[in-house]
Amino acid sequence: MALKALDIYKLLPKKNCKECGDPTCLTFAMKLAQGKVEPDLCPYLDEEAKNILGASTRPPIQKVTVGMGTLSFTVGEEFVFYRHEKTFYHQPGIMYSVSDTESDDRIREVVSQVRGCRLTRIGIDLVLNGLAVYAESRSPERFAAAITVVTQDNPDLPLVLMASDPAVMEAGLAICGNYLPLIRGVNDQNCEAFCTLAKKYGAPLVVSGNDPEQLAANASRCTGLGITQLMLDLSGTEGEFIRASTLVRQAALARSVPGLGYPVFLDVRSSGFSGLITGITKFASVIVTRPLTRTEMQAALVMRQNIYTDPQKPIQMTPGLYRVGSPGRDDPVFLTVNFSLTYFTLQGYLESTRRSCWLLIVDTEGMSVLTAVAAGKLSESVVKDAIEKSGLASEVNHKTIIIPGYASPLSGRIEEYTGWKVIVGPRDAAEIASFIEEELK
Amino acid sequence: MPIVTFLPGFRKVEVSSSDSLMTAAQKAGLSINAVCGGVGKCGKCVMFHKSGRIRFDADRFKEFFTQEERDAGAILSCESYPEDDCQIMVPERTLIQNQQILMNVVGQAVEFNPSIRKYYVQVKPPTLEMPASDLYRLLDAIFHAGGPNSKQVYVPLEILRRIPSILRDSGWRVTATIARLPAGYRMIEIEKGDTSTRLYGVAVDLGTTTIVAFLRDLTTGQVIGVGSSYNKQISCGEDILSRVNYSKRKGLSRLQDLAVESINNAITMAANNAGVDRDDICEVVVAGNTIMTHMLLAIDPSYMIEEPYVPVVRRSLTASAGRIGLSIKPEGGIFLFPAVSDFIGGDIVADIVASGMAESPEISLMIDIGTNFEVVLGNNEWMFACAGAAGPALEGGEVLFGMRANPGAIEKVSIDSATLDLKYQTINGKKPVGICGSGLIDVLAELLRACVIDRTGRINTTLGHPRIREGEYFPEFVLAWKDETGIGKDIVVTENDIKNLIMSKASTLAACIILMNQAGITREDIKTLYFAGGFGNYINKDNAITVGLIPEVPVDRIINLGNGAAEGANIALINRKKRKFLDEIASLMGYIELNAEPTFMDEYTRGTFLPHTDLTLFPMVEKSLELCRLRVEGK
Amino acid sequence: MTISYSPGWTASIREVVIGATAAEGGTRRISYRIGGESDLPCIGSGRKPLIAFEICDDPALWPDVIRSACTKLVDNPPAWAAYVDTTLQADLIRLNLTSTRRRNFDAYDAVSKTVIAVLQATSLPLIIEGSADADIDSEVFQRCGEAGEKEKLVLGTAEAARYRSVAAAAIAYGHSVIAQSPIDVNLAKQLNILLREAGVPDDRILIDPYTGALGYGFEYTYSTMERIRFAALKGDGDLAMPMICAPSDTLTIKEVRAAVHSHETAVSWEVATAVAAALAGATILVVRHPGSLAPLRTAIDSLWKEEVA
Ligand code: SF4
Ligand code: FES
Repeated sequence: MALKALDIYKLLPKKNCKECGDPTCLTFAMKLAQGKVEPDLCPYLDEEAKNILGASTRPPIQKVTVGMGTLSFTVGEEFVFYRHEKTFYHQPGIMYSVSDTESDDRIREVVSQVRGCRLTRIGIDLVLNGLAVYAESRSPERFAAAITVVTQDNPDLPLVLMASDPAVMEAGLAICGNYLPLIRGVNDQNCEAFCTLAKKYGAPLVVSGNDPEQLAANASRCTGLGITQLMLDLSGTEGEFIRASTLVRQAALARSVPGLGYPVFLDVRSSGFSGLITGITKFASVIVTRPLTRTEMQAALVMRQNIYTDPQKPIQMTPGLYRVGSPGRDDPVFLTVNFSLTYFTLQGYLESTRRSCWLLIVDTEGMSVLTAVAAGKLSESVVKDAIEKSGLASEVNHKTIIIPGYASPLSGRIEEYTGWKVIVGPRDAAEIASFIEEELK
Repeated sequence: MPIVTFLPGFRKVEVSSSDSLMTAAQKAGLSINAVCGGVGKCGKCVMFHKSGRIRFDADRFKEFFTQEERDAGAILSCESYPEDDCQIMVPERTLIQNQQILMNVVGQAVEFNPSIRKYYVQVKPPTLEMPASDLYRLLDAIFHAGGPNSKQVYVPLEILRRIPSILRDSGWRVTATIARLPAGYRMIEIEKGDTSTRLYGVAVDLGTTTIVAFLRDLTTGQVIGVGSSYNKQISCGEDILSRVNYSKRKGLSRLQDLAVESINNAITMAANNAGVDRDDICEVVVAGNTIMTHMLLAIDPSYMIEEPYVPVVRRSLTASAGRIGLSIKPEGGIFLFPAVSDFIGGDIVADIVASGMAESPEISLMIDIGTNFEVVLGNNEWMFACAGAAGPALEGGEVLFGMRANPGAIEKVSIDSATLDLKYQTINGKKPVGICGSGLIDVLAELLRACVIDRTGRINTTLGHPRIREGEYFPEFVLAWKDETGIGKDIVVTENDIKNLIMSKASTLAACIILMNQAGITREDIKTLYFAGGFGNYINKDNAITVGLIPEVPVDRIINLGNGAAEGANIALINRKKRKFLDEIASLMGYIELNAEPTFMDEYTRGTFLPHTDLTLFPMVEKSLELCRLRVEGK
Repeated sequence: MTISYSPGWTASIREVVIGATAAEGGTRRISYRIGGESDLPCIGSGRKPLIAFEICDDPALWPDVIRSACTKLVDNPPAWAAYVDTTLQADLIRLNLTSTRRRNFDAYDAVSKTVIAVLQATSLPLIIEGSADADIDSEVFQRCGEAGEKEKLVLGTAEAARYRSVAAAAIAYGHSVIAQSPIDVNLAKQLNILLREAGVPDDRILIDPYTGALGYGFEYTYSTMERIRFAALKGDGDLAMPMICAPSDTLTIKEVRAAVHSHETAVSWEVATAVAAALAGATILVVRHPGSLAPLRTAIDSLWKEEVA
């Protein structure tokens, strides 16, 4: 439970000595409450305060890294159950699966699907994270050979190795172990052997169990053997997964069961696309799926991006002048904020009117119109800045801008400050069509 | 050059024909309500053209006047120019001279310990046996009269030069004025004979719109005169932001001059009232917001209005009156209140001192509402503050018939929920010409009780009552019919006005709730809610709670601080020990930047409902609204 | 050691009845009691979400991909409805009276006719999406409400700016109301209060949190729904209404419109959005592409345990 600034303040020494870098204990407490600073910046905390404050800032879920090098990815270190409480930090790695019984060509094809998949949205590259190779052959040689096919050209592609026979796993690790693949296949019988392997390569290990109790016990057993890079296997039907992952996340956040404070592994090869979506939304950190169709893959990557954006840092558009259709020098100029959702909504409605126009996006640090007006982020000077920087005046023959309805309180000041005439548009983008029809004819 | 005659007072002025009529009126000594600074935007500088030739662009006036008004000769004076001798009628609403200025102060008992004292002493004449210097003997005499140790007293050259003749001319009987400084003492005056009873100081509330000066006898601590003035900076823009922008374009000096001039006007008025010579005023203590304080000292305020919004200085400051141009004793001192941030200025620190909230273990919430709002929560151990833009609606801006609290403004309204009969009260009892903030809050509360508006402020146009009608752009509710008003047209409040008001009140309430959340307290923990500034004096507290402008607390826990800034300045004037406390308050306050506060938007949205989306935060309001609804539905 | 799940919920989602069978005074072959969940989606013994398939009476503004997927049915709402009922086997039909969005619309009789015809063509419960213009709302909703009297329709959409007409029709003819607010838990709550104060009983309101398209704000919808569900389970009665969510909005975005394999894309994106919406707490999922129904049904069946009666 997040502590209030004042509760924290009461735990601080109240020396106002500034050694933490803040002018007063109170301001330091305010930053602590927001998680912006670490408690140990204050050298005068007593033990009790350290315990209380330390526990609220240390991540309840262990950080785990899969792979090595630029393609490696980190999961875990999550703090919340709902993304709106703060944010989900580390998006799940999505791994395409191949069986070592498949042909080398097929394996190469899947590798190239993984590597070739790149979707760029709002300036961010969305990618698949790696490959999961499972030892269907049960043969150490074949497993090693299949992995070699993958690593020949892509030694740094993060991998999940799936085998339950330690000998098979060892053969695989011999090829790629130094690149820290995720090891999956531990069970009650092979636990010691797998731990030895994981320790030898320093690679992360997926532990499993039939129920949460057993899972926690197994995880504790592994930590007892010196392995801390652990993930919890919650694979099952979609329904089973969700019930288990809800429980595990809750227990982890409550720090009530030490063995459950690890990221979650999910194999959705049998449930497919909807299993993948379920995993993305409900706390999975590594998801192994059979190769998807291109459209499914795109939808999944976008879903992952959506769920893992920081709700407090909305996705921002680059401010500037945008065209809707092919606007001419007499076409209207709509002004809006650089909150991506506002932009997309407005753009969508404008497009549907089939009327070409200009869209001037001003920098409100990603705030919506209403918020930006309330917080003073949308102001006459911001608008002036945007008009000047975008070179709007040289693109159009008029000096009129249409501002969002919620910005109407600013209309006078904008006119005064920029010299542009201001028309107040509708509050709701959905009314843009009728606005254009009635006001701009 | 044309001579312009202003009616109804027949004031005449000769001006060039490139001067606007507004400028002419100002030259004639009239204070014109130039909200936009005279650029033809606000429509507040209305005058009526009676005779003679004037020049203007009639098209520009279309948006401001009805045809009827145009026919009556309505013009914007800032955009009209005399071609020839002419007569111009200035309606009352265009003048600002009668606006209510706050002058009352709560009046706390404060220990009397001023920072300036006079010492009437008899200085030993020098002899051959005792050839000590004049200064030495003077300071020695002061020390023996209970004054500071001579080593601690700094004597400026100008005074030093006058010492020998004054000592000798007075027969060695002189009065020295000594000011206590942060690092010692300074002699600021030496006079012949005994003037020790003539020692005065002034406490000034330097507001964005108005300035109030309290003249005090510093030998007794009594208030002996009060003066006020408009802040003449209004001619450079009504709100503080436009003034900063003005300073960016045209430099600071005019703004500084105007601030000084306005303060001087107020001081002169106070001194005249009390029959005191301004030269006997030795100290001025000024509490003003951060930007005003900067401007008064001609320190560039422009970095405060752009990210990351830093003031040049936050701590309290002193300077000599002569350097700033204050018309008191030139060697006299000026003390300026410290600030917490760009938005929490010396005025708020003064409010805090005035309320005493920083000395009490009980939790208080203090709210100062204007175009901006400032909110402070805390007690003697901790304090949080935040500030933001409330939008101009609460001061009558962005509201069709909104106006400041000038004569003719509707300031109180009650509505019969069954018949929608309406009673109102205007300032000075004049025919209504508009509605001010307190009236608007009343309207909002009363319309809600009468179920004319829903909780989002939308007017229920299906009620079928003549007062409810479709306006030109929005549904509206008629407050006063044409023939009752002083402007010849119906005064209405539109749905859009209500929206703007709700947006204003939502941000204020959100700020209160964010502070309460930060401290982890509930509304029940608030033992006192202080209203600082003008708004609280006129507002109906019940209605303010009903619409959710402030959190629901028992009405008897709400105290109007009145002009807390002036009160605080007075306290600091008569008790120098409190001045150190001011810096402590300012530096220990936890300031919350609402811009960066992740929960602000959520709280704001929750506030855009009457009284609030979470009705459990307003249990009493809920109960009474429930009754109202039953009554209305039952009728 | 047993690790138990202790969410600390204190309340449950209110139940809303949709559709009326002959025994209940209507003519539907089935009626649904939705809501009633006392935990997060898929946890505990909550009911499975229902799938509503959306049709309209004027597809001019609908995405090409839908017009091509539903071919000539799009010009014949009753036939379309029958197809949805018998072939696609959706749980519900949402009839969108898009014709009312045309300028100067005044064909009120046609509205009544369409509603009656669709009610005759299918025996599934019906959601009716009426006009979106305060000037004609009153007449349109009055017609819809009347045409479906006793059928316990769901009428949409009430918004904060125009809710009185929908509310009046729902109250007069015994229907439920969809309350749509722009992706914000607080605005959703406000609208529910407004509707209640306008006389709509709490158990005849469905929340539509407004569905942002996948990639274009769906995350806001997702979180808003989670917050609504959370608040409801924690005892906020003003938010304890079942939610209806329309992933069909995802079909209008650029990625789908411009896709080469447009049908495949439409289905992937619609299903992805619908599954996530269900996990965030939607009780009714509205889809438009015929291909989405089967995969969505499979996903729901695998996510939710067998329903406990
Ligand atoms: S270092 Fe510790 S005691 Fe010093 S100001 Fe910071 S929080 Fe207070
Ligand atoms: S219009 Fe503002 S002063 Fe004339």
